[in-house]
Amino acid sequence: MRSLLKGTIMAIMLSVVAVLGWSQTEIVLWDFLGGGDGVRWKTIVDGFNESQSTYKVNGTTLAWGDPFYAKVHVGVVAGETPDVMTYHMSHFPVGIKGNDLRPITDAELKTVGLSIADFNPALTKVSLDISKTFGKAGVLYGVPLDTHTSILYINKDLFKKAGLLAADGSIAPIVGIDQFTAALKKLKTLGVMPFTYSSSADSATVWRLFYTLYSQMGGGFVTNGKISLGQLDTLGKKVVQLLADWTTQGLIPNNIAYPDSIALFSAGKAAIMFNGNWEVPTFVDLKANGKLPFEYGLMAFPKLFANQSTWADSHSIAIPNNTKNPISAAKLKGVLTFIAYVEKNADKWAAGGHLPAYLPVLNGPVLKTLSPVNQYAAQAAKDVFLEPVNPAFGVADPAYSAVDNFLTPAITGAASVADGISGFKDAIQNAQ
Amino acid sequence: MATRIMKKRYPHWKTALLLLTPFTLVYVLFLIYPTARVLYLSFTDSDIAGIGTFIGGDNYVKLITDKLFWGSLGNTVYFILLTVVPNTAAGLLIALLLDKMKRFRSFAQVLFFLPYILPVSVVTQIWLWVLNTNYGIYNFLLGNHINWFKSVATAMPAVALVTIWWTVGFNILLFIAGLKAIPKEMYEAAALDGVDKGFRVFRHITWPLLWPVTSLVLLLQLIAQWQIFNQVYLLTNGGPFNKTIVVLQYMYVQAFQNGHGGYASTISMALFVIILITSLIQLRFLSLRGNS
Repeated sequence: MRSLLKGTIMAIMLSVVAVLGWSQTEIVLWDFLGGGDGVRWKTIVDGFNESQSTYKVNGTTLAWGDPFYAKVHVGVVAGETPDVMTYHMSHFPVGIKGNDLRPITDAELKTVGLSIADFNPALTKVSLDISKTFGKAGVLYGVPLDTHTSILYINKDLFKKAGLLAADGSIAPIVGIDQFTAALKKLKTLGVMPFTYSSSADSATVWRLFYTLYSQMGGGFVTNGKISLGQLDTLGKKVVQLLADWTTQGLIPNNIAYPDSIALFSAGKAAIMFNGNWEVPTFVDLKANGKLPFEYGLMAFPKLFANQSTWADSHSIAIPNNTKNPISAAKLKGVLTFIAYVEKNADKWAAGGHLPAYLPVLNGPVLKTLSPVNQYAAQAAKDVFLEPVNPAFGVADPAYSAVDNFLTPAITGAASVADGISGFKDAIQNAQ
Repeated sequence: MATRIMKKRYPHWKTALLLLTPFTLVYVLFLIYPTARVLYLSFTDSDIAGIGTFIGGDNYVKLITDKLFWGSLGNTVYFILLTVVPNTAAGLLIALLLDKMKRFRSFAQVLFFLPYILPVSVVTQIWLWVLNTNYGIYNFLLGNHINWFKSVATAMPAVALVTIWWTVGFNILLFIAGLKAIPKEMYEAAALDGVDKGFRVFRHITWPLLWPVTSLVLLLQLIAQWQIFNQVYLLTNGGPFNKTIVVLQYMYVQAFQNGHGGYASTISMALFVIILITSLIQLRFLSLRGNS
């Protein structure tokens, strides 16, 4: 009886609202996208709102990292969630275990013309693997929007001086660690920092460099769904030793912060910068404004060891698992419509340097001509090596802080390599 | 009957009640209730949203054998040793010097107090620049490349230095007020008795008469420094090698990174008890000294 009454009142209210012309369904969105990413994201959201009049997406940007995921979790528990949100694929294991994510089925995707098969298989394979290990098999806990990865930013003027450019002016391929170290040493003779990366209080960047080299050597963290850290004692030590040696030889900087690393490179005082593809717009803008005193180029991280693989993560679009106030069918339809719009317009997102996850866009004509992203996109999309499938890894998770705590001091010479690795191992083990 | 006695003894009890109610409400709602809730959570295996089941004293058993907890406690004690007495001594010394200044005294007072009004994020940013390995002014002037916040030996002392720089202004203020409260006649009488040399005057007049202020500063410092978190979180994040992880930082890691709300509550309760005990001991010890 009560529900009938409630339903009647709702129906009356809705019809009044409809008559008055406020028939739009509001969809609340939370994201963690700041800087240039934030601007592009808002353009896409605005584009969606203008493209139709049934739904209106209202976005709020929150702080990246643990604050975001803590807020989402508390929101789910309290039943006060947004309708849709951005989410890192590397955080799925924690999100699924904490019941924060609502599964999205292939059938649901098909209602808006999408399908799991439409996305970069390098991403969906791992995503489905995570679903199987921590949640329900065969569903996605978030629809992948992009792959973001680490690339190399190259000062071509310095490369030319060091004889590292091919005859046609392109960057000559560098293969193998010996050739790479030799190139760094050559660049050092020019009186510049050969290779810059952010290491001061920046777990993320150090982790990405470490994990890339470790994975290229064949190192891993998970065997048969269980954490296994044995390779850290062999391969992990090798990687940290290599970076520590580079630091001692002055080939990479000792402890500089993220903005300093960008400043060093954009001032022409570093030959190579290791950073995420999301800094691409920074250099596009600097070049366009005539503020970059050299020619720059971009390349996928080279193959230095046995495997050609590079750290990558994926921004996904997920639906909070609000069991207290479950999402209504109308809103779900709106959320899925929004997701489909975002995926089909992912070329706008790619301008931020990201590689779209939606294959029709990734392999489409726009991306092939999208400069300078096309300098690395094809190779980088193949090299994708996602975070270990374990709750200890990924954005805002224990392994990140363990990197700054133990690996960075060993790399920068403040502690021994052996101590760094053993501390790192303990920290990951304790987080299990 | 009781009300009549109340009315007789406290004729303005209604006003008193009215005035007390807002504070009591806020106090119960925002202090007593959360404390009780944390106490309860410390007996559960909750996540950060407080969802979990009662597990009895398991968290406390775990705490006793948790090496990292004891490590964080040791680091906090080390930080206290590096700050409480040095910060009080620095405050006293600067206050004495300011007291002697004839010109620009107010200006100098402002300069020393200025850091105290800065938010912690600004303070830590300033020092991250000053002590920056590659571009910091300190390393530039001394021509070295010490990695202040990343070296095992220098990280905690560097955090302590930043803390003293930031908070000494408040201690100076208290000491200046204390010095002003010492009657001038005391010094005049001492001069008549032939005690007018700097250190002897300090030893026999200034120090004992200033003791109530000194003990207050020490107590405030001790309570504040047990709760060290912000500077560590912003400067070193507990590293390198957990050498700067302090109790509250460890609680934060357990709660927000590892998602162990129940265990984090247990750590909070342990810190609560520790602060309570040290404050009681110190209060007793200091007031005894003050009376003698």
